[in-house]
Amino acid sequence: MAAYIKVPHTLYPDKTITVALYRNVSCKELRKSVMSGAIEVSLLKTSMVIDEFQVLVAANKALHLQHAGTMMTKNVHSEILFCLSPSKNISESFQSFGAADSDTNVVVAIADDQDDERLDKVSEILGKSPVALTELSELADTKLITKAYKVSADELNSYDLRDAVVSRISAKEIITAGKGKV
Amino acid sequence: MNNKTLLKQGAEARLFKADFYGRPCIVKERFKKNYRHPTLDNTLTAQRLKSEVRANLRCRMAGILTPTVYMVNFENSSIYMELVDDAITVREHIAGVQEQDRSTANDVLKPLAVKIGQTLSKMHENNIIHGDLTTSNMLLKGEPSDVKLLLIDFGLSSFEASAEDKGVDLYVLERAFLSSHPNTQQLFDCILKSYRESTKNKKSCAEIISKLDEVRLRGRKRTMVG
Repeated sequence: MAAYIKVPHTLYPDKTITVALYRNVSCKELRKSVMSGAIEVSLLKTSMVIDEFQVLVAANKALHLQHAGTMMTKNVHSEILFCLSPSKNISESFQSFGAADSDTNVVVAIADDQDDERLDKVSEILGKSPVALTELSELADTKLITKAYKVSADELNSYDLRDAVVSRISAKEIITAGKGKV
Repeated sequence: MNNKTLLKQGAEARLFKADFYGRPCIVKERFKKNYRHPTLDNTLTAQRLKSEVRANLRCRMAGILTPTVYMVNFENSSIYMELVDDAITVREHIAGVQEQDRSTANDVLKPLAVKIGQTLSKMHENNIIHGDLTTSNMLLKGEPSDVKLLLIDFGLSSFEASAEDKGVDLYVLERAFLSSHPNTQQLFDCILKSYRESTKNKKSCAEIISKLDEVRLRGRKRTMVG
């Protein structure tokens, strides 16, 4: 079985979401390709990701917003990053949730990757194959995630962190509406 | 849409069961009401969708259990949320216990009443008004020894600090409670007692209870003078 997942979107089954994890790689080259637009994928910081479900919820939302024509950023892959972040500030979101040049692990999320063309290209650039997504739990920094999503101790008493994070991602525009500057 | 099956049809929305990336989920879809003016209908539907999600989140942040929201679709006003496994409504639970033995029902249900009081106290302390408190909008899950209470259906919720709104919230529950479950005045008093004991701010709590007494006399609607 392949290490990555590729699933159809809940609302639009003809669109797919791919999530893959790479370990012990250098992100620099890959980031360059993404920034220049040579390859369209989303590069996420592994420390901010609890498991693939969190990424799926964000990607699911990004594809839905793309379909509805209400994206906040310029393309669906930057939108995945923005959806993942609880912040309303786009550059801040990219900074805290996007992979950095110095990162040695990276989560790759791809919308609508036909024949895994882009995933294969990512593997080629990184010179590695994706590893099992279950390894995400070793790489997640729960302290950092708790802080970034502002999850209180009260909430963690009743819920696990993943559910707390997932609800914030899905309800982001509703809870941040009218708060602070846009 | 992947295998949506209709679970329930209410006055406001339809509930479907579906799958969300491997997790069973509930889709709550608010439908158009043709008897309402389209502009009003759209405004009300959008408002209720938003307040439902907002109150759900605020409750969670206060440590009150609610179903996890997976996705909000503004296009057709639907919410995708966690399907709470093996949960029954408080309404079903009370009816079941009463059916078994009416004479001991109130004693058996007492711990539940205490829990309801504590939960509502916590909710009101965070200035969340549910707006539609009934025993059908409370779910129970888990083992009988460690039963968990979830609040659902926040479509009519609002955020108010006033004793009036909190009093009305309790009054709505009292009416729903007594009309759906016979001989439960004692049980409702038990909820109020626990509510009073759990609320830290005694002064505001006394105010809420006195508002409740006031509302009982005049009904839910405020007298409009001037």
